[in-house]
Amino acid sequence: MAARRALKAVLVDLSGTLHVEDTAVPGAQEALQRQGATSVMVRFVTNTTKESKKDLLERLKKLEFDISEDEIFTSLTAARNLVEQKQVRPMLLVDDRALPDFKGIQTSDPNAVVIGLAPDHFHYQILNQAFRLLLDGAPLIAVHKARYYKRQDGLALGPGPFVTALEHAADTKATVVGKPEKTFFLEALRSTGCEPEEAIMIGDDCRDDVGGAQNVGMLGILVKTGKYRAADEEKINPAPYLTCDSFPHAVDHILQHLL
Amino acid sequence: MAAWGERLAGVRGVLLDISGVLYDGGEGGGAPIAGSVEALARLKRSQLKVRFCTNESQKSRGDLVGMLRRLGFDISEGEVTAPAPATCLILKERGLRPHLLIHDGVRSEFDQIDTSNPNCVVIADAGEGFSYQNMNKAFQVLMELENPVLLSLGKGRYYKETSGLMLDVGPYMKALEYACGIEAEVVGKPSPEFFKSALREMGLEAHQAIMIGDDIMGDVSGAQRCGMRALQVRTGKFRSGDTSGQQGPGPGKDSRRPPGPRRGSQPSCVCCDVQPSAVR
Repeated sequence: MAARRALKAVLVDLSGTLHVEDTAVPGAQEALQRQGATSVMVRFVTNTTKESKKDLLERLKKLEFDISEDEIFTSLTAARNLVEQKQVRPMLLVDDRALPDFKGIQTSDPNAVVIGLAPDHFHYQILNQAFRLLLDGAPLIAVHKARYYKRQDGLALGPGPFVTALEHAADTKATVVGKPEKTFFLEALRSTGCEPEEAIMIGDDCRDDVGGAQNVGMLGILVKTGKYRAADEEKINPAPYLTCDSFPHAVDHILQHLL
Repeated sequence: MAAWGERLAGVRGVLLDISGVLYDGGEGGGAPIAGSVEALARLKRSQLKVRFCTNESQKSRGDLVGMLRRLGFDISEGEVTAPAPATCLILKERGLRPHLLIHDGVRSEFDQIDTSNPNCVVIADAGEGFSYQNMNKAFQVLMELENPVLLSLGKGRYYKETSGLMLDVGPYMKALEYACGIEAEVVGKPSPEFFKSALREMGLEAHQAIMIGDDIMGDVSGAQRCGMRALQVRTGKFRSGDTSGQQGPGPGKDSRRPPGPRRGSQPSCVCCDVQPSAVR
């Protein structure tokens, strides 16, 4: 195995890795503290499209995780970064609760479309408006392209199908910014100043967390909590650097072997 | 003109698209496209057979024809090939009971269909009916089926109304295809069965007919793949990129352009409105 550079940054998935709904993964808070005692930088990364960083922070603090807002990087952050880079004025098809993450961004007279999971905005009139902008050449930025997600009343359409609809209608391609896109991980690492080869990702989604991270040159640890299903680790190639029971086990491994 | 005579030799019938060729829909029934009422009248006075081949799926045939007649068009229900009746035939043939994701305006076309305990989804141009809730319900029905069948009335990307371009059924069909990992079956243009049934109604072979449409893929390419000739009009949803590589005279009743390729679609001819004199 090629020599790796020293580990300087850890990316940690949130839902399914640190906590499952409103319950912390057992031992996770303490594991986080042990990691925090090292010089390794941490970023908490998630594909959420309807929770602002403040909302996430609040939930994590309630679960007694010691985290600061600027350690959180979401697909909404990634979308915002891209909007700023491109210097565009987006029509925001995102949940109202996500709007705080776009504070300060000009949205009047839009010349771009940003689309996340926003059932309230996916009705015909609004999608038609977005379509007309795209047909005129506006770029389409998708927070992610999940097909569906689990709700209490069963499965529900994610943003993916609506992104596909707009891509097809306007004969264009969306720039997708969430996991497992490379840009997501590179953007998440940007504020750490670390290269992917100096970083590791811990998550419960084999394709989106581990596969995506390893694709960009990071190591990936798959944890068997959250959405993990038996033999998930066989679904990607190369396989995860490590598959272990949970976040605390992942931290143990890092402290023992990678620092 | 000799060149045109050659290109149109043997044409004995005309298949007319409706939206974007005869009229643009919209508030108060929409508006006829300039010259089209008279052009249709001239076509009907000629010796050519005339039939209407439309993907209209927001209105029943009765409502569509009623509205067009009020705008002055000489058209009757029996002259129209439309996707809803074609879909009903397929549903009956295959024992399919649909969950309908459609506009209320076309519901009457499905009155004879059993919609209890659905084992498929039928999607049409539902317009405002394409709410997240309605899309989600259709999605959930498909995901419950061991053998999910999605029938789509046409797959157009958009069409023109008086207020501007409007999303058609195609993007929403793609959305459900993506969500469920399935492929829809399309009833309507550009499906060959649809064109063939229109030809059968006219009693003509494909080489004896010409399709006039505003949709380079759905109308023109679709018709040509069946062996018909096709004429692209620059009204309706037509955009200058559709037949790329074109330079030439601006719009005017008599201006025509040689065909240009776009994704393999080469219309027999391109012109700016219905030109029945050319057909004669």
